Amino acid sequence: MADQTLPIAGTLGVTPQRSRSSRLLAWLHEWVITVDHKKLGILYISYSLIFLLVAGAEAICIRIQLAMPNNHFLSPEVFNRLFTMHGTTMVFLVGMPILFGFANYLVPLMIGARDMAFPRLNAFSFWLTAFGGLLLYYSFLGGFGLYGMGNAPDVAWFAYAPLTEKAFSPGHSTDYWALALIVSGFGTLGTAINIIATTLSMRCRGMTLLRMPLFVWLMLVVSAMTLVTITPLTAAQAMLVIDRYLGGHFFDTQAGGSAVAWAHFFWIFGHPEVYILVLPAFAIENEIVPVFSRKGIFGYPAMVAASVGIGFVSMGVWAHHMFTIGLTSVGNTFFVLSTMLVGIPTGIKIFNWLATMWGGRIRFASPMLFATAFIFQFLIAGLTGIMLSVAPWDWQLHNSYFLIAHFHYVLVGAIVFNVFAAIYYWYPKATGRMLDEKLAKWHFWLFVLGFHITFDTMHFVGFMGMPRQIYTYLPDRGWGPLNLVISIGGFIQAIAVLIFVYNLVHSYFRGKEAGNDPWDAWTLEWSTPSPPPVYNFATDPVVYSRRPLWDLKHPEDPDWKYES
Amino acid sequence: MTEMAHHKAGAEHGETIHLPAPTHWPIILAFGCTLLAAGLVTTPGIGIFGGVLIVTGCVGWFRQVLPHEAHEDVPVRADKVVIETSRRSVERLQFGPDQRVHLPVETYPIRSGIKGGIAGGFAMILPAILYGLITQHSIWYPVNLLGGAGVANWSHVTTAEIASFHWSWLMIAIVIHGITCLLVGLLYGAMLPILPRHPVLLGGLLAPLLWTGLLHSSMGVINPALDAHISWGWFVVSQVTFGVAAGLVVARDNRIRTSGRLPFFARIGLEAPGLMESNPHAGPPAAERPGPGHQEKH
Repeated sequence: MADQTLPIAGTLGVTPQRSRSSRLLAWLHEWVITVDHKKLGILYISYSLIFLLVAGAEAICIRIQLAMPNNHFLSPEVFNRLFTMHGTTMVFLVGMPILFGFANYLVPLMIGARDMAFPRLNAFSFWLTAFGGLLLYYSFLGGFGLYGMGNAPDVAWFAYAPLTEKAFSPGHSTDYWALALIVSGFGTLGTAINIIATTLSMRCRGMTLLRMPLFVWLMLVVSAMTLVTITPLTAAQAMLVIDRYLGGHFFDTQAGGSAVAWAHFFWIFGHPEVYILVLPAFAIENEIVPVFSRKGIFGYPAMVAASVGIGFVSMGVWAHHMFTIGLTSVGNTFFVLSTMLVGIPTGIKIFNWLATMWGGRIRFASPMLFATAFIFQFLIAGLTGIMLSVAPWDWQLHNSYFLIAHFHYVLVGAIVFNVFAAIYYWYPKATGRMLDEKLAKWHFWLFVLGFHITFDTMHFVGFMGMPRQIYTYLPDRGWGPLNLVISIGGFIQAIAVLIFVYNLVHSYFRGKEAGNDPWDAWTLEWSTPSPPPVYNFATDPVVYSRRPLWDLKHPEDPDWKYES
Repeated sequence: MTEMAHHKAGAEHGETIHLPAPTHWPIILAFGCTLLAAGLVTTPGIGIFGGVLIVTGCVGWFRQVLPHEAHEDVPVRADKVVIETSRRSVERLQFGPDQRVHLPVETYPIRSGIKGGIAGGFAMILPAILYGLITQHSIWYPVNLLGGAGVANWSHVTTAEIASFHWSWLMIAIVIHGITCLLVGLLYGAMLPILPRHPVLLGGLLAPLLWTGLLHSSMGVINPALDAHISWGWFVVSQVTFGVAAGLVVARDNRIRTSGRLPFFARIGLEAPGLMESNPHAGPPAAERPGPGHQEKH
């Protein structure tokens, strides 16, 4: 009884016959000049996936170096560059762009709009981000350093002062780091402004704020946080450039500058940044868990409140990264308590996801597999986060591999897992093809296995006192066997990612036709053809509840009857 | 761009939709900005070239949007998109008799909690003074203990000093005591719906024990010097006094109806259909409700 039909358009595609090379050029030109939010979203995601592979390769090199004691696979200088570039790449060139890519692609579709509020700014923001990344990696060729040869930044992703001052980082490698991130930072700001404007002013008829998909809510929060937090980072990097080029002394401790000021500037960006990365992962979870549990999300208002709460609280916790630098007892107490406070809204979210799954008819398709693993792993990450929020504990373990394990549990166990979930979930919408489910399962199980082998073990090697960012270690420390296990886990993850990449390419050409709504979902993007036409919706959607497609599929029992 | 401006066209089939025209100026401007930055780490020539691209990009961009934005008309081809599900039946979650689906119909207003907090604040002064008189022969001892919590350099103070009168400590104690009693009262009021039938039990026993347990476990970290001077037995007595006084004040107040007419699941935010009673006032106007006419809306 359900055959509700919607007059939604396909595309017009009358293309004159042209040669293969000119077709390729025309295709490339089309992507370069596009202002379509969907194409820009795909560009963001593709760009990030390429850098994910690059950063992954860097991580593998690091793990080969650390697999055995007294190893010299890499030189100390190259090791420093690789862990700096790995961290910088994962945070700035993978994490943020890929999540903003999903926002770009999905927010207008989910709110029934035809594009972002500022399409040209959207294109400008993407290209700034992309060129910023390329500038950073050009440092491998152009970053003349101490030895007069190309080198990449080697000051770690947080670039503590005074290491970044001219006296300790001669040459241009650190300049590349600062300038590239300033450039990409402006791109990020542009995208954040665009998402806020789009969400607030372009929702379709009937889509009140409290009917917006939670994905859109969380992207709104993330964008607001981005505006607040990228600014101090950009300011600090501008000051660093002034120090290095114009003889300023902001962070020059030998001339009265303050290294601690850099740490404050960096972490007032850096900690909310973790939430800027993880909130979109929550957003993805909010869409996938209900659809694959066949139930509405549990506690929508509480989820919205918790997201906004996380946004606020996360702004006041930055100095827990600085317990080991030394704070007053009042400072320690404040930041211990404020950090613990974050556990409340995140706890609400975990309980609500579990409550959504409870009693549902769960389908463990590939998106749901990754989303389920996310809940478990994020819980562990949260618990170790609470442990590290206790200042005395942090004094012991902050500069050890325990912290690296915690951080990667968040960034990989939570964020990367849900990025994979999102790709499995929305790839059919973007390409019209399903990803191969068998390969997806191989990807999932290998990645879970590799992830836990690597990062569970990393906690223990941290307990045993292995410092972070260490180039190598002596055999008598007893860290060798565990490090070998960690590295083996890294290789298993790499194999899983290669399967994933193969699946992306293979399924694009050979995948099953997806149809418009392969998951039987409820948000507006699934009412468009796959892939959606350039204008998204031929006529304006009108929604009456948080699940407009549920209303159409179940006219006898629509949601709007129950939402006040 | 406003919602109306964006969507007003609402193209019919066979018509076109205005969309922003593709443009190369954003990429040129972005490349120029990047080269300007790259000039600092390479050669000035690259920076200058970047500056030229920035000017060119800005001029080109402005000409694209001024005086009118460049648009392209994208023809619409209407395809039928079927919105359907293979899962036709909707199952309603069943709740057994052992599952808690209880909501108080009546509760005390939150202001009762605040009044109770004020009353309790006065009442607990009595056991506190008794404690001071009995253990240290001074009514100022408990006052100074509380006031000392707000003083940063209190760590080396002697018992004799604590037992003597200090204006500044008295003032600090009054401020701390007043604010804490108000906040605890407010919290008490907010928690009343949990145990609306037994405000004295909640205020007189449960809350003091929880509060004392929390302080007992954390005071050693927050203020070890204060922790060393607190007599936890007397502390519990004063907390219970506070709670009983607050509970009695609340119990004398009139109850108000909760929004119990709303379904339980709506109040806790559960969205699953079939669990809540219908809201006939929500949803689309009758003419727009799902049916043949509604299909055309998407």
